[in-house]
Amino acid sequence: MAKMLELIDFHYYYGNIHSVKGVNLEVEEGEIVTLIGANGAGKTTTMQSISGLTARRGVVGKILFKGKEIQNFNGYKVAGLGIAQSLEGRHVFAKLTVEENLMMGAYLRKDTKNIKEDLKDVYRRFPRLEERRTQMAGTLSGGEQQMLAMGRALVSRPTLMLLDEPSLGLAPLITKEIFVAVRDINKDGTTILFVEQNSKIALNTASRGYVMQTGEIVMSDTSENLMANEEVKKAYLGG
Amino acid sequence: MQMFLTLLVNGLIIGGIYGLIALGYSLIYRASGLMSFVQGDMVTVGAYLGITFYVVLNLPILVSLILTFACSFLLGMILEKGVIRNLLKKNVMPIYVVLSTIAISYIIQNTAQAFYGSTAQTFPQVFSKPTLTIFGITAQTEAYVCLLLSVVMMVVLHFFMTKTRFGTAMRSSAMDPLAAESCGINTSLSTGITWGLAASIAALAGMMLGPMYGVYTTLGSTIGRKGFAGAVVGGYGNMYGAMVGGMILGLAETFVSGYVDATYRNQLAYIILILFLFIKPTGIFNEKAIQDV
Repeated sequence: MAKMLELIDFHYYYGNIHSVKGVNLEVEEGEIVTLIGANGAGKTTTMQSISGLTARRGVVGKILFKGKEIQNFNGYKVAGLGIAQSLEGRHVFAKLTVEENLMMGAYLRKDTKNIKEDLKDVYRRFPRLEERRTQMAGTLSGGEQQMLAMGRALVSRPTLMLLDEPSLGLAPLITKEIFVAVRDINKDGTTILFVEQNSKIALNTASRGYVMQTGEIVMSDTSENLMANEEVKKAYLGG
Repeated sequence: MQMFLTLLVNGLIIGGIYGLIALGYSLIYRASGLMSFVQGDMVTVGAYLGITFYVVLNLPILVSLILTFACSFLLGMILEKGVIRNLLKKNVMPIYVVLSTIAISYIIQNTAQAFYGSTAQTFPQVFSKPTLTIFGITAQTEAYVCLLLSVVMMVVLHFFMTKTRFGTAMRSSAMDPLAAESCGINTSLSTGITWGLAASIAALAGMMLGPMYGVYTTLGSTIGRKGFAGAVVGGYGNMYGAMVGGMILGLAETFVSGYVDATYRNQLAYIILILFLFIKPTGIFNEKAIQDV
């Protein structure tokens, strides 16, 4: 298995605040990996830094995508490499329709003819989006917006998909539905790294996990081992 | 009736100009969350560029229009890339960025004065037929062409912003830069292009004003800033509001000077602006840029 993503001694500074302190992380091709941890641990900063969405001057260390250093790339360039992210808080374009949102996901695609097929694929995965195709994204429910954010990332045909807090603020039933889709997307061949505050569902979905605490990775193991670990149980799985 | 129709046509002509300028204010607000005082002076810049290309260099009118568009587009982009972006990067408070645009506005006015003198210049007639009569309403040929061009530009801009991939991407980056960037949109370029577009639309409006109003260094501050009032009336930040707001001000101004008294012509736009801020700050199109508190 080839390494898809690698973070080597990655740090992030917001001015004087040292928010991520030397993270080492790997995702192999075809894997589904989760990054869990409490609020403020630096998970979102890490995810957005991979996508080039944080100020580049704050980055210290290396981020490698398929062996190539990308830590100095701007966001739109990282997207062009085939890394798509469904952002924390969903960030759909509120005043664009569902379909226009998806089209923006396909913004960099050169093969415009095949985009239609990928829209169909998104609608197959999330039938509710098809029902709301012409509706403004701002009028969707939280769950639907999450589906749209993921769909928008999907239509770019990413090789690596990053998902930041897909279940944030969603009802349990919808969370379940979202994670079924996440698993399917991975099964269909997309490598996934995701951040999730619901550690139980995260470890049930991923094959491996990293535990982040105040800017550092404190544990990394297979999901099974993490779920069996007493510390993890106590801190993240509610006893 | 004849007088009514004449006023209506004249109102639409100047209203179209206000609408175009207002569009620029709204585009800039959407893209950067700022109000640029330079927007008015782009009208002056356009008028002088027009004179330079058409009169001084004696180029054909169409070539002059295109060159004016291109030069002012670049100027708008340079303003954003060179000044605005760098100030924002330094985390300067937005109000100071707006103040910097006042400084640039005066630099433009005084530079224009240094180059072209303080007396108003006349923009020569473009068409051999000085007046045109449509439905019994006679007006300067240039005025009719100006109205036509305003409408065409508004329609083209509407299609560009809503129906093209790039236009939608520009709106996306204005709505949510983080998400747009993650979709692969170069948001920094998009903002620059928005400022360029705002500048070039105002410049074309200025060039069209030339034959009707003459060209002078404060053309932008007397006429261009009424475009700002139009943008607020329509709903600051709303493209369609800008067009409608501009048209309304143009019509109100023309009808008041025709039926009441021309003395109040130049105050009217600002009186309406203040009234709107008190009564309906979100404007006709209910844009939330200026919140009703």
